[in-house]
This record gives sequence, C-alpha cells and structure tokens, in this order.
Amino acid sequence: MRLQLADYLIIFVYFLFVIAVGFIIKKRIKSSNDFLSSNRSIPLWITSLAFISANLGAQEVLGMVASGAKYGIMTVHFYWVGAIFAMVFLGVFMMPFYYGSKARSVPEYLSMRFDEKTRALNAITFAVMTVFSSGISLYALAKLLEVILHWNFDLCIWIAAGIVMVYTFLGGLTSAVYNEVLQFFLIVLGLSPLVIVALHDAGGWGNIQANLQPELTHAWKYMDKAENNPLGVNFMSLIFGLGFVMSFGYWCTDFLVIQRAMIAKNMSEAQRTPIIAAIPKMFMPLIVVLPGIIAIALMQPALQSKGYSIPMDESGGLNYTMTLPSLIAHYYPTGLLGVGITALIASFMSGMAGNVTAFNAVFTYDIYQSYFVKNKSDQHYLTVGKLITLIGILLSIFTAYLAASFNNINDFLQLVFSFVNGPLFATFLLGMFWKRTTGHGAFWGLLIGTLAAAVTHGLTIAEGKGGWISPMYEISSGMGQAFIVAAFSWIANFVSTIIVSLFTKPKPDEALRGLVYSLTQKVYANEKKWYLRAGPLGLILLLITILLNIIFF
Amino acid sequence: MLEKINQLSFVIGIFFIIVSIILLVGYLVSDAIHFPINLYSGVGMMIFGIVMVNFKD
Repeated sequence: MRLQLADYLIIFVYFLFVIAVGFIIKKRIKSSNDFLSSNRSIPLWITSLAFISANLGAQEVLGMVASGAKYGIMTVHFYWVGAIFAMVFLGVFMMPFYYGSKARSVPEYLSMRFDEKTRALNAITFAVMTVFSSGISLYALAKLLEVILHWNFDLCIWIAAGIVMVYTFLGGLTSAVYNEVLQFFLIVLGLSPLVIVALHDAGGWGNIQANLQPELTHAWKYMDKAENNPLGVNFMSLIFGLGFVMSFGYWCTDFLVIQRAMIAKNMSEAQRTPIIAAIPKMFMPLIVVLPGIIAIALMQPALQSKGYSIPMDESGGLNYTMTLPSLIAHYYPTGLLGVGITALIASFMSGMAGNVTAFNAVFTYDIYQSYFVKNKSDQHYLTVGKLITLIGILLSIFTAYLAASFNNINDFLQLVFSFVNGPLFATFLLGMFWKRTTGHGAFWGLLIGTLAAAVTHGLTIAEGKGGWISPMYEISSGMGQAFIVAAFSWIANFVSTIIVSLFTKPKPDEALRGLVYSLTQKVYANEKKWYLRAGPLGLILLLITILLNIIFF
Repeated sequence: MLEKINQLSFVIGIFFIIVSIILLVGYLVSDAIHFPINLYSGVGMMIFGIVMVNFKD
C-alpha cells in the first residue's frame, strides 16, 4: 500500500484539526472540573456520539471486521445481544444513581455507596487497566502503520502520542470527547464507501448468502449446540455470558464509557445518552461486521475472480486482523485511501485519548485527592490533572514498548482485565438495588469474583489457552471460554457479596438516599414528551433489536 | 464567526468540506485520483459538511 500526496494531505488536515480542537477548548478550561469532567456542560448529541465512540477504537473496528470474517454474522451478537440491552438498562435504571449522586467518577460512587477500600480497589485496577489499554492502542497503531505503510515504528509511537498529548493537555476531557465525535463521523463516512463498493462487487447480500456456509449468515439458527457454529458457544452461554455478565459488566460499570454520560447537562440528558448512543450502535455492524463477511465471501470459489484475499500470517493461516486494511488497500484508490487510513489512525488515537482522560480523572479524584493531598485549592488539582495527563501519555509510551518487547503481553493483559471486569457488575447490581449490601460484602465479593475468574480459566482449556492449574475441562473456542469465565466470576461475586453482607453491618438508610433504588425518588417521568423519556425510548430500541435478531435469525 | 468556531458541529463540517475539496479537486485535476468512488465520496462528504456547518449545537 503506497500513499500519494492527496492521502498525506488528508492525514495532515486531520492532525491539524485535532490539535486545533485542543486550542479551541483550552480557553474554556478554568477549573479542575472543566478539565477532568467537562463541568457537566456537554450537549446530548455530543455525549451520545462520544459514548459510542469510546467503544469504537481501532482495536474494536479491526477486531469486529476480523470476527465478521472468522465467525460470520454471529459477530452481531456483540451488538444486538452484548450492547443494546445493557445500554438501555444503564440509561433507564443506573444513570439516576451515577448522575444523581453527583459523583465525579465511578470509583467515587463506590465510596459513597460502600466505603473507601472498595473505591481504592476499583480506582487502582481501573487506572492500571486504562494506562495499559492506552499503551496497547498506541502499540497496535504503530505496528499496523509499520506493516501496511512501512512507516518507522518509533516515529509512529512518538508522533501519535505527541498529538494526543497536545490536545488532551490543552483541553482535557472535553477535547478528547470532541475528537471522539469527529472520529465517529470519520469512521462512518470513511468506511461506508468501502462497504457499498465491496458489497456490490460481491453481488449483493443474496449472492453472499448463496456462496457462504449457512452458519456464517444466520445469527441464531445454529446456536443450539456449541459444535454447530463457528463461535463455539450455545445460545445459553451466549445469552448469560455475553448478553448479561460481560455486556452489563462493561457498559454499566466501565468509567471510560459512563464518564461520557456523566458530563451531560442534566439528568434527563444523562439518562438518554446511552439510549441515543444505542441507535448508531445497533446499525454499526453494517460498517464493521459486514465488511468481514464480504471479505470471506470474496474468497469463495465463485468470487475468486474478484482478486481479493485476506493476507496470510506466519503460520500459513488467514490473518483476520488484516481483513480491514487489506479491503481498504484493495478497493480504495488514492484520495479515499487517505480517508480510510486517517479513519484508522483517528480511531487508535481516540482510543488512547479516551483511556488517558479517564485515567487522569480517576487518578486525580480517586487516588491523589482522596489518599494523598486533600483540601488543596482547585487550581492545585487542575495543575495535577494536567501533570497526570502528561504522565499518563508517558506511561502509555512505556507500555507500548513493553507490548512490542513481549509478544504475549497483550493476551495476558486482556485476560487479567477480563478477570477484574467480569464480576464487577454483580457489585453494582447489588449495591444499587439491595440496600442491605455492605462495603465489606462489595470488597470481598470483588476479590472472590476475580479469584473465581482466574481459577475457572486455570481449570479450562480452549484453543491451547488456559488450563494453567490443570486442564480439567476442554471448551471448543476461546470465545466460549471467555463467556464461561465471566459467568463463574459473576456468580462467585454475587453469592459471596450477599453472604458477607448478611454477616456485616449495613449503612443506615439516611446515608444511602440517592444511591440505592428503593431509597431514591424516581425521576424517570420528569420530561413531559414521551420521546424525551428514557423508558419509552429504551423500550422502542429493545423492540427494534428483537426485530433485527428475528430478521437475521 | 468566532462563536461558530467554538461549535463542534461547525468544526466537523469544515473538516469534511476540506476533505471533500481535496477529493473533488484531485478528481478533476489529477489522473492518480480520477476514480468515480472519489467523486461520489467527495460529493457525499461535501453535503455532510455543509449540513454540519449549518447545524446548531
């Protein structure tokens, strides 16, 4: 793949704009709240698009196209089962607590609802995870550009990190959020022509269905048994593991995405943020799953004359991660090629910026201000927030080089993250909806849930991974193993939190008002028009989601 | 104008208008960019850019 002047020009214009956004926002930054939490002043359309963009980093984009090629249309489960329901639940039931409690972060909500040790556990694990995620994003960007464009790896790391540093240092969270919205449109408009041209080249959806095995073009039909479908899971594991534990665990507890709803102007908009975000999320498979399915269809005998194939890896198998870059290289001429590459660069940088801004908020509010330097002036915390942004970027660069040095560190970190995230939703579910839940229960539940995840992984083996304690049980796919690990860790957390809570003293009701469902005044019907209320909107989205599942059954 | 620059929709609109100009001018003057897909995408981005410039946050 070779870029020409027009392609470089488009990349240059993008860099210019993201830095300009930083300078525009800089004038508005007067306090630590402006810098770290946008002072709750962002319009609904921006919070909603930023909410979905926070989950639209290049790893997701490349990963979902790759999964589309590998697993076919079943990849849509990550959207229609693994996202929409949780996003609606977050908007309708959980945002009133996050937003209404006036917490500035998810760990801060945990300190209000439970205690300081639960907050510290969540804040520290989250801070470590975001720094590593940011570094992995940076590493993946540099690696991709090195492989497809033969650019210098070190130069890519430092330039990308430098640009992210400039705009996050200048404009903080608002700057990151604004650039996420720009990135969203860049991905949608930059990849839409690819889908249209490739779909046309493949002869349309009907021809793709005719040329692919039926398991790749039906979302549910072959999910009765794990061995009947390429995902390697049955519908029960999918619904509980992905649709409940992993999905709700991510969308309802991860501060990186929830932070985008917490900066809305008021409660009504905060509740509608994840629900409005669910609309583009629902149709995102058209942009990120369909290209993968088209790619694998183009490699079938009847379509081989089109001259496209997914590149091979060192072992001679298909390198699915390269599906999207190879489609861009195959279909995009100079000009649009620059747009496609810029969309990829934008999503990597945006993923990194999102992690860094979430890291600096949690570190400043929940670690520095809570445990090290209390009761200083606001200016002091603004300076610290900016300093932490620089440190976050430098740590990301360090992590990126760490990822480059150790081949398996990405897999290892993703595994550790899943151990920590898997059980988290049980803590929030019990904390928000059962007032008897105690701080000790939440803390020990989290630890036991994480331990259960590690043990389950150590006792099961799938595609050669896991089984490091003893490979007692074999699972047909890594995906199925991930669902089962998440399910066990959630159940362990749920049960142990209840048991420990029953033996420890709960907080008095007065201390839990606004934090627990049964002790909080309901605010759902504040808007007079039904289409401005989270409940009816959420219900409509759920019905459309069910309809989509039926259409592609 | 200064107020407009502070609006995200305006900034996004200008960005896509510039990108569309690169694609459309390139299509007209350079053989290397003279592909119908660049023309159609350029027109699409131009329309989107104009809509965003006139959108109020």
